[in-house]
Amino acid sequence: MEKSRRYAKSHEWARLEDDGSVTVGISAYAVEALTDLVFMQLPDVGATVTAGESFGEIESVKAVSDLYAPISGKVVAANTELPSQLETLGSDPYGSGWVIRIQPDSVEQLEALMNQEAYDKLIGG
Amino acid sequence: MNLSGTSKSSPNEKQPIGLHVWRDPPAAGGWNMAADEALARQSEETNRVLMRLYGWHPHTVSLGSFQRCVDFSETLELSHWPVVRRPSGGGAIIHGTDLTYGLAVPGSHDWSRGTEKLYAAVHGALVEELGGRHLRARMVETTGRETEQSFYCFNRRAFGDLVVEDASGTSPHGNHKILGSAQRRLSGVVLQHGSLLLHRNPHLQGEGSHVGLGDVLQAGSGSVNDVVDGWLQRLADRLNGELIVETGPSYEKENGEIARRTERYESVAWLHRR
Repeated sequence: MEKSRRYAKSHEWARLEDDGSVTVGISAYAVEALTDLVFMQLPDVGATVTAGESFGEIESVKAVSDLYAPISGKVVAANTELPSQLETLGSDPYGSGWVIRIQPDSVEQLEALMNQEAYDKLIGG
Repeated sequence: MNLSGTSKSSPNEKQPIGLHVWRDPPAAGGWNMAADEALARQSEETNRVLMRLYGWHPHTVSLGSFQRCVDFSETLELSHWPVVRRPSGGGAIIHGTDLTYGLAVPGSHDWSRGTEKLYAAVHGALVEELGGRHLRARMVETTGRETEQSFYCFNRRAFGDLVVEDASGTSPHGNHKILGSAQRRLSGVVLQHGSLLLHRNPHLQGEGSHVGLGDVLQAGSGSVNDVVDGWLQRLADRLNGELIVETGPSYEKENGEIARRTERYESVAWLHRR
């Protein structure tokens, strides 16, 4: 399995790590579109998430949006520093702005997500 | 997240035209929130732009989705008020002398793409209507960082908020905010909540007391109802179709779907989620 980032249509990214877990975050495009972020709610470690279903919420000055899990599995880590440092989402969305890590039910789920080229096409890049 | 209002329906589905409006009688907070959620799901299923206009009985405070419940508890002048948490964001609103709306826009419609378009459409239509009645109204262009954390929605100034000129010089902001809105971007549909303040609430003083539309309308400019009717017509015009005012399912107090959704909004867990 390639370890580059994959993307959901709902703008979350997923990356397979060496230990078999999958790191999930929000694309730079989405962070920029949300603007003026004020609050974020993350799931607890140990929670089960399902592909395509909400695992958290993020609030900007004028809108609340759900975060959707790109794959199914169990949350093994959450970036608990993020809600108090939301600017990190904009400054380093693919690094320290990661959101959760999931132990996936199967890594093959990543195949169903978009690669960089397809995602760039989706956002008109 | 839903940034683009991506619809579960076919990408070739036609963009809906016209505006369907349900004018509902005043109801309790949990019911109102549940009815708006049902409205959003119906909008998605039927691919129509749906709007619900309603009041509140009893008068109720609604908190933004992420506001801290303790901030409400510590606001003494509200201690005896019923309270409900909205699914949408923003600050606390004291309902009773306002007209609240829920507007659901399916993902197939251009208005669902990006936060600003829907604000510009809804608030812009009212700015036009008020302008035609010689009231100087405008939309706030930038979010005021100094007011962002205010407990009350009507003390905040964020982009898109509708303000009218403060001719009396009584507002510390230099203007009166009379319409504020906030969105919940769901999968396949966007729900925008808004509150049009009609009159100053006689039961409140201090920070929670705000001027309403009826307090600033000049003689000969028509009534509050005239303004609302004109606003709705302008909205329908922007949707290139008819304004259809109809009885919605929320009139039916035995509506099972709304009753089921009400349980969530009346639960302690939802109210105290933060």
